[in-house]
Amino acid sequence: MKCVTLFRQDDHSWQAFGQDRDKPDNVIDTNQYMIRAGGSAILLDPGGMEVFPAMLAALTREIPVDEIKALFLSHQDPDIGSSLPLWRRVCRPDVKIYLSWLWAGFTAHFDRDATFTTIPDEGMEISLSHDVRLRFIPAHYLHSSGNFNVYDPKARILFSGDMGAALVPADRANGTMFVSDFAGHIQYMDGFHRRWLGSTRARDAWVAQVSKLDIDMLAPQHGLIFKGDDVKRFIDWIAGLEIGSGVASMNR
Amino acid sequence: MNQVSTPVRERTPRTDRIEARANGLLSDCRRAFHAFGELDELAENLRILSLNAELAAGRAGDKGRAVRALTQYTRELVNRLAQIQGEMNSLRGRTFALSSTILRGLSQMSLFERACGLIDDHDHDARAKSAADHAFHDIMRMLVDTLSDMANCVGELARRAHGVEEVVSQSDSIATNIAIEAAAAGVHEKEFRTVSDTMRHYVDDLRKMIDEASDAVRRASEKGESLRRLGMDSLGELGFNG
Ligand SMILES: [Fe+2]
Ligand SMILES: [Fe+2]
Repeated sequence: MKCVTLFRQDDHSWQAFGQDRDKPDNVIDTNQYMIRAGGSAILLDPGGMEVFPAMLAALTREIPVDEIKALFLSHQDPDIGSSLPLWRRVCRPDVKIYLSWLWAGFTAHFDRDATFTTIPDEGMEISLSHDVRLRFIPAHYLHSSGNFNVYDPKARILFSGDMGAALVPADRANGTMFVSDFAGHIQYMDGFHRRWLGSTRARDAWVAQVSKLDIDMLAPQHGLIFKGDDVKRFIDWIAGLEIGSGVASMNR
Repeated sequence: MNQVSTPVRERTPRTDRIEARANGLLSDCRRAFHAFGELDELAENLRILSLNAELAAGRAGDKGRAVRALTQYTRELVNRLAQIQGEMNSLRGRTFALSSTILRGLSQMSLFERACGLIDDHDHDARAKSAADHAFHDIMRMLVDTLSDMANCVGELARRAHGVEEVVSQSDSIATNIAIEAAAAGVHEKEFRTVSDTMRHYVDDLRKMIDEASDAVRRASEKGESLRRLGMDSLGELGFNG
């Protein structure tokens, strides 16, 4: 599994893990992110149980597992958090698990012994260290009805969950974890966003909300990371996309 | 319809060895409970038969006195069966809960075995190795404990099977005694003989059920014991025993 550092300033860093070459083809590729500051680390969307062995191996190359103080699940999908009971076996017993209040009872099906710190609909802010604060910002209905992004104002990175996700075929991967040709990248995210997203109102609200943030990198849970001008390009592109394509298959 | 291919996973020999035997154990347990599946129907048939026999004994007056006593005894046996059946139901619930814990443990164990394989290189320090090994060991210990509970359940199941066996042999002798009473019952002979024959028939069914179930229980308890030993040995190999 690849590990790329997105940001580093003193002890504050962002790292992305993904593009596991040994992963079976039928398991969707995911990106996992780790933010570190002041001896604490939080894992964003730790992944499905199928990627757990590779992810644990990749992560422990970087830090000891007991530095992980928190896990954040953007929503309830299996590719996000079915590894939860496995992480809890290696993490410290008091590891915090952040998740939308909507999904606590559902995600308990993955791990009935987990205790969740539930995030209210309007989101919340946490301190990772004395000077690094993270904002869990609402992204409901995109695609999940209880869904959050994570914004780090100091690193100016937005973890956008399934927003910005792309399904890049393995033979099209260019060896990097970043979008290098936005126009050429659209084909890999177009179908996903049209079909997985359903609410235009939610999309418009999200676009308005993230447009107010200073974002150097927009890091999705699948596919490639947007940086620099590609962040604005993505936001403009999603703002004009026709979504909810699944509706067309109803009442036929 | 879309088909999703499932590629061959990396080998996890330690887990696979245990998994193969655990699947055998779980299937023997399922077979045992399945064999007992018709117990409630047979008990109900026996209950109705004893009621009919009691009515026939009443009609036979003095000549039916002994048969009436025998039917009351049969009723007690039916109650006994009902009690065993109730116990068996709760045992079934416990066993299936344990099987699901075992299956979940096995799936976690294979993932940790893969993780341990990936971490066992020069890029990882001793702390990383020990975290993964400890998790693997914890699951193994949980499995060994669950397998012990499972072995207890199988033992209890064996005791219930033995209880049913006793009911069968007592019912068999009641059927014989009713047949003897029938020979001296004059005009009621045919009626009593039918009761005795039907009872024998039920006894045969119960016996078949017991044979099938006892075989499954015996195999399950052998597998449970060998699995528990295998788990203990693996814990020993991991150097975490104690
Ligand atoms: Fe999702
Ligand atoms: Fe996803």
